[in-house]
Amino acid sequence: MPPPALASRLPAIGCVALATVYGVAFLAAESQAAVGALLALAAAAIALAARAGLLETVRASIGANPATFDVAAVTGVLAAAAWLHHQHFAILMMTTAMLLAVAALGLTVQFGFAGVVNFAGAAFLGIGCYTAAIVTKYTALPALLTLPLGGLAAALIGSILILPVLRTRGHYAALVTIAFGILFKTFLEVNDALGGPQGMQVKPIVLLGWNLSKPIHLGTFTVSFYFSYLLLALALLALCFVLVRRLERSWIGLSLDAIRLDEVASACYGLDIARWKVLAFTLGNVLAGCAGAVYGHVLGFIAPNNFTFADSLVLVSIVLLGGIGNVWGATVAAAFVVILPEKLQIIQEYRFALYAALVILILLFRPQGLLPRPLRAYLPGWTPKSP
Amino acid sequence: MDIALLGQYLVNGLMLGLMYALVAVGFTLFFGVLDVIKFSHGDVLTVGAFTGFATWLAIKATIAIPWLQLAIVAVAAMLGMAVLGALIARFLILPLRAAPALNTLLITLMLGTVLRESVRLFFPDGSNPKPFPSLLPTTPFTYGLFTVRLDSVILFVAGLAMIAAVHLIINRSKLGLAIRAVAQDAETARTMGINFTFVILVTFAIGSALAAFAGVMNGLYYNEINFGMGLLLGVFGFSAAVVGGLGNIYGAILGGFLFAALQTIGAAALPFASAYKDVFALAVIIVLMTWRPTGLIAEKTSERV
Amino acid sequence: MTETMTATMTTATTDPLLACAGLVCRFGGLVALDRVDLAVREGEIVGLIGPNGSGKTTLFNVVTGIYAADGGTIAFAGADITGARPQAVYRAGITRTFQRSRMCLPLSVFDNIMVGNHKRLDHGLVFNLLRRAAFAAELRRNWDEAAELVAVFNPQLAARLDEPAARLAMIDRRRVEICRALISRPRLLLLDEPSAGMTHEETRELMDDILVVRERMSGLTIVIIEHEMGVIERITDRCVVLNYGRKISEGKFAQIAADRQVQEAYLGVA
Repeated sequence: MPPPALASRLPAIGCVALATVYGVAFLAAESQAAVGALLALAAAAIALAARAGLLETVRASIGANPATFDVAAVTGVLAAAAWLHHQHFAILMMTTAMLLAVAALGLTVQFGFAGVVNFAGAAFLGIGCYTAAIVTKYTALPALLTLPLGGLAAALIGSILILPVLRTRGHYAALVTIAFGILFKTFLEVNDALGGPQGMQVKPIVLLGWNLSKPIHLGTFTVSFYFSYLLLALALLALCFVLVRRLERSWIGLSLDAIRLDEVASACYGLDIARWKVLAFTLGNVLAGCAGAVYGHVLGFIAPNNFTFADSLVLVSIVLLGGIGNVWGATVAAAFVVILPEKLQIIQEYRFALYAALVILILLFRPQGLLPRPLRAYLPGWTPKSP
Repeated sequence: MDIALLGQYLVNGLMLGLMYALVAVGFTLFFGVLDVIKFSHGDVLTVGAFTGFATWLAIKATIAIPWLQLAIVAVAAMLGMAVLGALIARFLILPLRAAPALNTLLITLMLGTVLRESVRLFFPDGSNPKPFPSLLPTTPFTYGLFTVRLDSVILFVAGLAMIAAVHLIINRSKLGLAIRAVAQDAETARTMGINFTFVILVTFAIGSALAAFAGVMNGLYYNEINFGMGLLLGVFGFSAAVVGGLGNIYGAILGGFLFAALQTIGAAALPFASAYKDVFALAVIIVLMTWRPTGLIAEKTSERV
Repeated sequence: MTETMTATMTTATTDPLLACAGLVCRFGGLVALDRVDLAVREGEIVGLIGPNGSGKTTLFNVVTGIYAADGGTIAFAGADITGARPQAVYRAGITRTFQRSRMCLPLSVFDNIMVGNHKRLDHGLVFNLLRRAAFAAELRRNWDEAAELVAVFNPQLAARLDEPAARLAMIDRRRVEICRALISRPRLLLLDEPSAGMTHEETRELMDDILVVRERMSGLTIVIIEHEMGVIERITDRCVVLNYGRKISEGKFAQIAADRQVQEAYLGVA
């Protein structure tokens, strides 16, 4: 198959370039008026593009050139980060958005693919954070190990919930995970060994002498001390994104969808319901745990107050807003949910209520989310020939 | 353990059980008529408590008699929440009847957040706990070593009366008959001429008024309200309803008291770990759901294969 | 030939593929299956008929492991599958369709068919996540196979494998469900009222197509629940009649149609 022409790639690349420029402008905006103007501009641009049919062109271009789009997206993030290298807060926001996107991807696997509800997402993120804190405080293990250890801890502690999750459906399952999330936070608050309500410190990652929490000096060039974590978060997000997307585009993704949509028929066709649910639930928790570990290092100090039920609902909101089961949707929604209230200060206080209200509107009027999930494309770019 | 302390635990347990029961009855009513779990129910309780508090703040200058203040506060809270409950049913629950059940679950969870946050954001100094006035006489009665305050007794009796009232409405009135008909078979009830929408709105109004009553009761007993009070009460109330079997009012009441008994015994038996009592109760919920996924009384579901 | 040899030969050729003996299934006080015997030989097409509520679908549900039998045994290809989980029944080679359409409507037609192909697909993590070239090969192979199978029922449908199932007309959805049941090359296919909602012409076409597929898969055994007697008469080798959970008649269609008991069950006593 000849490689697609450059012309077909242009809309996709153009879209990323535009988004990158916009992102940089948005993150660098100083005044509230500037932020407001940028938001209005974006809304108008999207509306116009929809009217002119440009959105379809972009979508087709992305669909035909997936690899190009992925590379362009990563390049865009790096370019934005490079441009904003000295702005601590902007880099921190980007990093946080990417880490929450990883957690949202985990939730997508659980809820979007397998239909397993999990209202304790923030708790699993917190497990990762606290693992990082404990490992760096009490052991001499290389700090980078907190990533896999955070994932492992999330999987192990999550296994407590496996039996309840398998045996319950719908609102009963919701109750179980809500109870667990609250239990986790309350336990941390009353337990002084883990810092109690004040929380714990998380020591930075030091990789072969490179302390990720120290600013980088390249000659006269100083880079924010969050930058190293941004690179780490980007690497983690890229890896998890590819993993989750491949999972969806495989027989495993098919099995997960099947058990979500019809358990009886799936059982009659040989699908082991329990096995797939356990896989999805555990994998989702591992992702949240890994993201949490990095997040702990980024924050430097964590407390139970970071992992409340409201925070779990924010994660659920990310998945619902973006479009259930759509991995790009989850990623973009994560960026939106993290960055918007930080820049638009007036909504900062109201953000929980705002997200909840947005989700209510989505559920009433556009339940498939902002970016509905497309049909499974096992091999993107492959169109089967008609028989 | 001395009698006085035991007595205190008993009173606390009974009051807690009553509050859980009031919330649980709401959950069970909603589930009964619409197969819907309104996760925002606990937060409606909070809004009810704050409505009552706001009413008191508004009238305390002009009306001096405590019991009159209380009456107005209670009525305001209950009426207010009845309206809120009906609005929620009309605009959020009923439109999603055709959608997958998960959507209703999600929308009510989100609504709960909106309610909770609204109280925190829009009530003056909402993030901090508010002192709720003692509008009932607090004369202590002593029986030997055992002391109980009059307001606790009044609250308890009032709560029981409220539950009895709901029981009477559901079982002895024409409206209750309509509610039970819709709960059993909405389709047939409609063909029999019952106004489905009206019944739903009224059911939600009743349940929400109960929650408001529980909220005011909560404020009167603990002399404090805060914007997060509804979350745990909602979780425990829902669990109590599940324990008793969703759709079964007596089960909900029983579940409420069972749950409170569990928490109180846990707190009493392990005094050093009383801070863990919520953790303990939540762990019990998880274990209970694992053992009996649909409550102690199995939910009658059948799927046509 | 000696008697023993004749005896062995007779048992060998007439050993049933599916042997249900004395199946009992109760729902509380209701006895849905009352000591039902059913023996199906390999290659047969057996019709399972009876008035509504006579236990036909319940029989399917018990055989496929959705309900547990309260009594009796089920043997398939010589192995005892009484009480087996639906997954095990599928792996043994029994597939089914459902009375009411059970499709994953948000998924593509191909996806729906592949749900039925579970035992022939590699579900390993390494295979699906890392060995993408091998996965692509397996995908293409199965795509062609699914297209070929679907083409028997509706050639136009074969070009629509990548469309969402929700976009299909009811009759095409039924066809896809049957393809889902056939893709794994089962030994025994249980069809539950496949013609529901179809015209006579469509039903006739469907049955012909099923017979074509059966030709290709030598030895496919079918048990079909149907209310359309024309279908039963035309394609079945013999029939079993249930009423109130009990077998009341068995034999060729002409025989059971003339059976007084069967007539009474359907039409009531004159």
